[in-house]
Amino acid sequence: MSGIEKNPLIPAIRVTDLTVAYGDKTVLWDIDLEIPRGSMVAVVGPNGAGKTTLIKSIQGLIPRVAGVVSIHGKSYQKQRKEVSYVPQRGSVDWDFPTSVVDTVKMGSYGDLGWIRRPGRKEHEKALGALEKVDMLEFSNRQISQLSGGQQQRVFLARALVQSASVYLLDEPFQGVDATTEKAIVRILKELVAGGKTVLSVHHDLNTVSEYYERIAILNVGLVASGRVDEVFNSENLMKAYGGKTSFFPERKSTRRAV
Amino acid sequence: MSPHQFDIQLVAIIVAASCSIPGAFLVLRRMSMMADAISHSILLGIILVFFLVRDLSSPLLIIGAAASGILAISLIEAVNRSRLVKKDASIGIVFPFLFSVAVILLSKYARNVHIDTHSVLLGELAFAPFNRFIISGTDIGPKSAYIMGSIFLLNLLFVSFFYKELKVSTFDESFASSIGFRPRLIHYLLMAVVSVTCVGAFDAVGSILVIALIVIPPCCAYLLTDSLSKMIFLSVVFGITAAVSGFWVANLIDVNIAGSMASLCGLFFLAVFLFAPKRGFLAIIREKRRQKMAFAEASLLVSLYNQEMGKTVKNHPDSREMFQSGDLISKVVGFLKRKGEIAVKGEKIFLTEKGREKARITMENQ
Repeated sequence: MSGIEKNPLIPAIRVTDLTVAYGDKTVLWDIDLEIPRGSMVAVVGPNGAGKTTLIKSIQGLIPRVAGVVSIHGKSYQKQRKEVSYVPQRGSVDWDFPTSVVDTVKMGSYGDLGWIRRPGRKEHEKALGALEKVDMLEFSNRQISQLSGGQQQRVFLARALVQSASVYLLDEPFQGVDATTEKAIVRILKELVAGGKTVLSVHHDLNTVSEYYERIAILNVGLVASGRVDEVFNSENLMKAYGGKTSFFPERKSTRRAV
Repeated sequence: MSPHQFDIQLVAIIVAASCSIPGAFLVLRRMSMMADAISHSILLGIILVFFLVRDLSSPLLIIGAAASGILAISLIEAVNRSRLVKKDASIGIVFPFLFSVAVILLSKYARNVHIDTHSVLLGELAFAPFNRFIISGTDIGPKSAYIMGSIFLLNLLFVSFFYKELKVSTFDESFASSIGFRPRLIHYLLMAVVSVTCVGAFDAVGSILVIALIVIPPCCAYLLTDSLSKMIFLSVVFGITAAVSGFWVANLIDVNIAGSMASLCGLFFLAVFLFAPKRGFLAIIREKRRQKMAFAEASLLVSLYNQEMGKTVKNHPDSREMFQSGDLISKVVGFLKRKGEIAVKGEKIFLTEKGREKARITMENQ
């Protein structure tokens, strides 16, 4: 049985004792994390902190050494359709011979299951999602002709088609223009306002307070997690980044550099 | 056209069409060299099964061949996963080994059998029609046409049934597995299909030339279309055209048919590579030249406009660089004059009203 648990106290995502390793290299160590329903959460941490690994291992895309993940109180396997995934834009070959609308339609493949082909209904859904990300006029464009920001919007549209309740995004603002960044934030905030849960790997510490209400600070282990105004402070950032960041939330009015 | 010639072409067409279909996905998955690996490795399976059954027409041969194709892929991935060698090197390690073992076995124990090294490498398309399919005394055509026809049907069904799964797992593997498809399974199914295709095609065109039919037609198609389904369709068209024209060229100059087919594949690719309307080499050069010209024109118009406005703006560094070659500037001036955007009086260049308007628009769009 999939679906959203009625009890609001059950978190959208619960990660318990999660450990992931590549060979003898530990990438994630004993992560305990709860993401409340209807929240917008940033995952931050230095390079190699395991941010992408966390997003992937929540979905079982990477084998776990130990740990349990539940989505709305049930195993990911049962809740796959409740989870929508936006991989890093750079992870695919944008020269692939396909159009924007066909790429977005891939979001409906999971519901269709094996062999069944997308039809009229899926096409309409894809166009609707493209309208939301303001890309409708590009629907018949070949994907190789898109800019970085447009590619990211297409990926977001594909995730919207899945009509899931949990969104996992891997660096959605990587290399996109300012307009796209604003548009994506607006859409994500709308999703959260509609009771959806958003977990997003984020790089730019300057915008954390503006975009997110909650944060998970990661460096192999979980350094801190909670409300941005409670845990997003220099002490926790020092723990995660060491001396590798000059960003201190308390002083951000005077210093904007990361 | 004699019935014999007709039969040869029939077999060649079916072989080419069967190879092009899975070939499109191999090319898109950057696994073209897997075709090389599979087409060579199947020989080991064919020979080992032959030693068991002592019958070259046994269908078990196909199963043995497909199994050794899968074995090659699994070995390549195992070597690759060890992270001790790079992916391309692991291909280069595994298949020559399997192939050379097969060649040794062949030369040592099977000298008198039809499978000699020459026909393994080049195939014997010309002999394909001699092996007839006879049902209760009636000759219903060359056997290889039926075998290859079944393989073609298998490929067609595989790609039509799993089109969506193949597409999404080729484009975005991690997304595909996140929505519940199993890219690993799709990968192995595709590899099994390629193996079976290689086995069938191997008899007709040999192990080296089958690579040409798997890889080159999809590469031609890739440069000509923006849609996956059209790419598959065009691949088949290219494959068939190369097969038929290759046959007639071979006929004309009396050379090996498979060799001629593969050479024509190469020639077709060269033509597409050069002349493809959007992605071809010449189209790209033309486009670059056009952009360079358009930029030079705009720079000249804007700098003239700025001078007119009395601004002592230095030339934009890019435009100065641009105009260092006297050749280009005279070209640009001549071009703009013809378009009526500038006028030349003596040594001096003036903007016309049309040129002024264009400069204004250019600056607004910056």
